[in-house]
Amino acid sequence: MNPFTLALLFFGLLLGTTITLTSSHWLVAWMGLEINTLAIIPLMAKQHHPRATEATTKYFLTQATAAATLLFASTTNAWLTGQWDIQLMTHPIPTTIIILALALKIGLAPLHTWLPEVLQGLDLFTGLILSTWQKLAPFSLLLQIPAANQQVLILLGLASTLVGGWGGLNQTQLRKILAYSSIAHLGWMLIILQFTPSLTLLALITYVIMTSSLFLIFNYNTTTNINSLATAWAKAPLLTSIAPLLLLSLGGLPPMTGFMPKWLILQELTKQQLPMTATIAALTALLSLYFYLRLSYAMTLTITPNNLANTTPWRLPSMKRALPITITALSTTLLLPLAPAMLALVTL
Amino acid sequence: MFYVMCIFMFGLVFGLMVVASNPSPYFGALGLVVVSGMGCGMLVGHGAPFLSLVLFLIYLGGMLVVFAYSAALAAEPYPEALGSRSVMLNAGVYLGGALIGASFFWGGWFDGLWPTADEAGELLMSRADAGGVALMYSFGGLMLILSGWVLLLTLFVVLEVCRGSSRGALRAV
Repeated sequence: MNPFTLALLFFGLLLGTTITLTSSHWLVAWMGLEINTLAIIPLMAKQHHPRATEATTKYFLTQATAAATLLFASTTNAWLTGQWDIQLMTHPIPTTIIILALALKIGLAPLHTWLPEVLQGLDLFTGLILSTWQKLAPFSLLLQIPAANQQVLILLGLASTLVGGWGGLNQTQLRKILAYSSIAHLGWMLIILQFTPSLTLLALITYVIMTSSLFLIFNYNTTTNINSLATAWAKAPLLTSIAPLLLLSLGGLPPMTGFMPKWLILQELTKQQLPMTATIAALTALLSLYFYLRLSYAMTLTITPNNLANTTPWRLPSMKRALPITITALSTTLLLPLAPAMLALVTL
Repeated sequence: MFYVMCIFMFGLVFGLMVVASNPSPYFGALGLVVVSGMGCGMLVGHGAPFLSLVLFLIYLGGMLVVFAYSAALAAEPYPEALGSRSVMLNAGVYLGGALIGASFFWGGWFDGLWPTADEAGELLMSRADAGGVALMYSFGGLMLILSGWVLLLTLFVVLEVCRGSSRGALRAV
């Protein structure tokens, strides 16, 4: 793509998220979300094969529907309460409609069906932007809406953890696995939203770091399914050895960073007298852990017997960028002892 | 006046139903024309004639006309309208949904008029629709620049998506 167009589109992505993050008026927030949708459309279609075009079309339709619903709900709220402030929403009907519209925007169950197919049609770098950057703006709105006693939030959260775990079990394509893992993590973020919004923000930040490390490793190895993952050990043995730690961190196992949000969320749910919700969330996280373990098994724990006829790729010099992988992989494994500092960082 | 507003509102919902029931693009554009026309009439009834005129000129007379021309380029040998079964089914479902929704919110559709004059700051009073244009260029300068920039971004997005002839599965020609 023409570098000027590319720069304009990336600037559009930056601008859209910034506008939504800094807005207090619903119309301005909607504008930022639409700028984000517009700017990422050519980035998604830039490979110009039918699968990418199909993914772009599906993404555009779902995001436009969600943004239109958001607009209608905020207009209804303005009609009923006379003001457009995000943090002063009191009427339950527009609040619930806005929560559902934002759930469609980020891909929470049961409004998740577009996410695996859209991610599958994209290359890994664009998929990374979709899974991380495009979630920031809707979450900033979800964090600001006063959500008190909303059953819909807990239902969305538990459905997402269940669907994210269950749907990912039958996948062999890595991008679809990452899509379902995204759905599951978004579910965890939403469960605790009405009790401790800072834990939602913590879960979001840790999820962004963890999934970035995985996307970048798969991009480095140029693998998109489990079969090619099984022979990726020859490309970068060091990445192969740390990948299980990253996958288990996504699965939420201590002593990696991924344990931090799950632990704090379960603790907070228990304090709020919701042990059943906590149990269901923890049990559905086991389903996700199974396919993370399967990926570790294919990538690291087993090496298929084969003879290499030529020089293994890791012996040859590589021009690929390794710094982003370094930063995100280290953060994914080592940040658990910093839990008090991170919690202080995200306390709203 | 009451009856004219009723006609406008029923026409709006009927036009929306025509658009949403998935006919051929020609009839969808016709539905959009009806929707925007009725909407403009309702704006007049609520005290914003200038806004209604601007909407007619720019939206109906500018953008919808261009869309109608583009739809005319995509020729269909057997265009489907309300006569075909699938379109009629969709239309029936949406009409039913509209009736149910109307029954929920039946009382008080004409509650509250548009505030025809408003104040901003200490020394400024503006008429609602025409004064809004002046405000857009003064207090709302940042919004104006942002909206103009977004339109430029949309232009580049559309040009980038449709670039190249018949490559990319988006254009057949």
